[in-house]
Amino acid sequence: MLNILNGVELEIKSGETIAILGQSGSGKSTLLGLLAGLDMPTAGDVFLDNKHLNALDEDGRAELRLDKVGFVFQSFQLLPNLTALENVMLPLELKADSNAKTRAHELLQRVGLDQRLQHFPRQLSGGEQQRVAIARAFALQPAIVFADEPTGNLDTVTSAQIINLLFEINREQQTTLVMVTHDENLAGLCQRRLILEDGLIREEKG
Amino acid sequence: MNTIKLAWRLIRRDWYVGELKILTLALIIAVASVTSIGFFTQRINLAMQDQTGKFLGADLMLNSPREVDASVLDKASQLKLAVSKNLLFSTVLVANEDFQLAQVKAVDDHFPLLGEIEYATQLYGETIISSRGPGPGEAWLTHRLLKRLNLKVGDSFELGNSQLTVSGVLKYDPGQAGSFMPIAPRMLMHYSDVANTGVIQPGSRITYQYLFSGSLQDRERFERWLKPVLNPTARLFGGKQGSQALNTALDRAEQYLALASMLSVMLAGIAIAMAANRYGQRHFDQTALLRCMGAVQAKIVSLYSMQLIMIGVLACVLGCLVGFLAQQGLVMVMADLLPENLPRPGYQPLVSGFFSGFLTLAGFSLPAIMRLKSVPPLRVLRRDSIPLPISAVVVYGLALFSICVLMWWQSGNLLLTLIVLLGTLACVLLLAVLTVLMIALSRYLLIFLTGPWRSGLMQVIRYRQANQLQILALGLALMILLTVLLLRTDLLDRWQAQLPAEAPNHFVVNIQASEVPALASFFSAHGMRTEGLYPMVRARISAINDVPVLQAVPPGARIDEALRRELNISWADNIQKNNQLIKGKWWSAADQGKNLLSIESGLAQRLGVKLGDSLSFQAADKKFKASVSNIRKVQWDSFQPNFYIIFPPKVISDYPHNFISSFYLPADKKEIINKLVRQFPGLTVIEVDAIMEQVKVILDQVTLAVEYVMLFVLIAGLVVLMAALQSSMDDRIHTAIIMRSLGAKKSFLRKGQLAEFTILGLFAGVLAVIGTEMITYGLYKYVFKLGYELHVLYWVLAPLTGVVLILLTGRLYTRHVTLLPPASILYR
Repeated sequence: MLNILNGVELEIKSGETIAILGQSGSGKSTLLGLLAGLDMPTAGDVFLDNKHLNALDEDGRAELRLDKVGFVFQSFQLLPNLTALENVMLPLELKADSNAKTRAHELLQRVGLDQRLQHFPRQLSGGEQQRVAIARAFALQPAIVFADEPTGNLDTVTSAQIINLLFEINREQQTTLVMVTHDENLAGLCQRRLILEDGLIREEKG
Repeated sequence: MNTIKLAWRLIRRDWYVGELKILTLALIIAVASVTSIGFFTQRINLAMQDQTGKFLGADLMLNSPREVDASVLDKASQLKLAVSKNLLFSTVLVANEDFQLAQVKAVDDHFPLLGEIEYATQLYGETIISSRGPGPGEAWLTHRLLKRLNLKVGDSFELGNSQLTVSGVLKYDPGQAGSFMPIAPRMLMHYSDVANTGVIQPGSRITYQYLFSGSLQDRERFERWLKPVLNPTARLFGGKQGSQALNTALDRAEQYLALASMLSVMLAGIAIAMAANRYGQRHFDQTALLRCMGAVQAKIVSLYSMQLIMIGVLACVLGCLVGFLAQQGLVMVMADLLPENLPRPGYQPLVSGFFSGFLTLAGFSLPAIMRLKSVPPLRVLRRDSIPLPISAVVVYGLALFSICVLMWWQSGNLLLTLIVLLGTLACVLLLAVLTVLMIALSRYLLIFLTGPWRSGLMQVIRYRQANQLQILALGLALMILLTVLLLRTDLLDRWQAQLPAEAPNHFVVNIQASEVPALASFFSAHGMRTEGLYPMVRARISAINDVPVLQAVPPGARIDEALRRELNISWADNIQKNNQLIKGKWWSAADQGKNLLSIESGLAQRLGVKLGDSLSFQAADKKFKASVSNIRKVQWDSFQPNFYIIFPPKVISDYPHNFISSFYLPADKKEIINKLVRQFPGLTVIEVDAIMEQVKVILDQVTLAVEYVMLFVLIAGLVVLMAALQSSMDDRIHTAIIMRSLGAKKSFLRKGQLAEFTILGLFAGVLAVIGTEMITYGLYKYVFKLGYELHVLYWVLAPLTGVVLILLTGRLYTRHVTLLPPASILYR
């Protein structure tokens, strides 16, 4: 058996911004998956918003994610068959929000895409797709947003714009932000920086 | 609510990707094939059952080979029932130099008691509704009969000793029950004219038909009174269970037609399963994202189930529509065999359409869709996380179970369902083994091939699994079509060709004993070779070894036609030359007058009768008994008079009897029949060649109808083809892109594709023709006992058809594979 993470002890407080750094294959995504309740550890416990994730079944964790968690991915993960507006409406509809459309419209306006509402992902640039993903991640005003290499597929200029947007909305909504990245500059914008090496975690004092 | 909206949105967008279209198309075909048969059989049933009254022309119809006792009619009038008395018989009509066997119904002034007669005053004239038949001296002939006799309204013709005038063109008359598919065309005349014709002689084959109508209560009292006193040779229609007997044959035909439609459902099911599988796999990402965003499993299940339901409703509605239209086509194809003006169908077939649609959809697509609920949300971070595959037992089990339920429901017979299902599976398995062998062996051809052909064959071998399915599906559909086509075109011809050139082609019946010498001299005066004159007594088997016959025979034989009607029994000194003694011994001159009999081997076997058993008979009101002295094998298609039961002379010769004979007459001497009928008006001449022509027409139409139903099977086979192509599409595109980025020209790829499809089509065609030859070999050799030859033309035709069909479908599906710019995929 391969141990990816060992003796990781980590507490994240509400409202913090945290960067998780590390080489490829160091277990960053695994840690993110565990924190977000997408995966379960073979040993050890994970608590999210004071809920013991190990004690919840897959559906229980899904409900918790719906209530508390937002995601931004490196590969955007937009549904190709839905328009920008419909992609943002998705979490709102899962929550049975009767104002899903208006709310999604506002969010897309907030990320500067009110001219692109009816465009499908393939008709949008990478930067635009990631804006849609950010709008979607913050749609339900989650307590915590997990971002997995949010600028990994973008050029430098676009990356800067996306990061600004991410941090701005994060501040507006006072959300906790946990970000996996190998970009030192990006990590520098976060309050805490955690470095994963050989399955162990160490905090870099800023 | 939200789930419905979301499901609708996703389905609308997914529609363009392709597999949903295939799934829907397959489902439409399945539903259409079930509903078309449903509509068709329901309309016939309605015509036969729901309108029994109008159909019979009365509430109750009593058919009897002789006049019923006067007490029956007294009882009816005592109960205030309306009564109509009619006569049915076959006879030859003569007009100028033309003659034609016709089925005559002589009706009184009360006919019909219920319903109406439809006729016209000229050929193709407007329909006139009448509540009574033709008057004395007049006759209404069907259009077919008028044509055969070159008659028009106003002309006269001869019927026996009398002349009748055509006063109408008969379109529909009630009371055809029991003769659903009359071979001879029909005519109506007035009852009072029958005596003058002289065609009714003692022992003639006539049916007395009595119609009754009245209030339900009176009818039931009458029925209760009538049944115990009724002579067993009489048959009652229209009572509580009356029409059941009538419909037995039709019911069976419906069962088989319905089971045949199940073949297209099975193939459609395969296409649905393939499409659903691809749909499921393509939605792993979407599902993982939804799970990641907090959708619980129940939400995922309801989201995709909702999509299935939407597709199901759409496909069922369209399928029912197509089924309805197809059924109209089927009615047109079989027009000559069906009653005119079939009633409109009800909603019942729609219910069965929806039921079969949803059951097929669920049975074949649920496993793939259910797998989605266990897509791990982690897939959003790790693309290699996929849900566990569903166990093969569940997948195949569910599919087989749903097909089995459907077939059972359609046929109403579990045993038949299991036999057909297992038979089909065995057949498919055999063909599958052949397919696998063909593909495996084709590997050895690779060294002989170059360029596109080599690349095409390599593709066939590379996508072995999908290709085997394509070859099998198309091969199976083609095989069924070819077999039906072959039976239609080849079977009857081959049978006719093996008959001796001068086999008798005419039967003469209703010959009176007094006419025998004159008739014999007529035959010799005209140089006609006859097969002798045989006496005929009409009698019914009433008991075997003194046990009433229905209790004595095995349960399966209780509906045997030989027990339901009077048999023609005969007597003879010597065994007929085409009969073969297989058990016991033939009687000698010393046995004359002894109570012995000879029975035909098939009947003996069906009724479980052995040598030495005693058989009791009832002829009119007399009973007699004899023991089985020998069992004979009869060659029924010799066209000589043949009998189930033969006695030694002087046992039954005192019972009312007449004679039968057969003779050969070349086509250019047909005018002799005119002379014969004029000289012996009581005779009925049956032209075998004309009947053969009729049988051919009926067989043609029935097989055409079967082929028509089988078209659904072919289309379903093509949809499987599309589904298989679609399932290999991503791989094909990827291969094409890599080949092109390595420098292959578009034309090379296209030729490779064409070669691949040609090879697939050839394989499917060869498979079909091998299957067809095997089936027809079995049928010819063991069922029809005919000589068998390879059908060389089919060996060319079938592969060619296969190639054309696969090329068209394949090209349609893969044309864009070679057109996509490599960058669009490589950088995606």
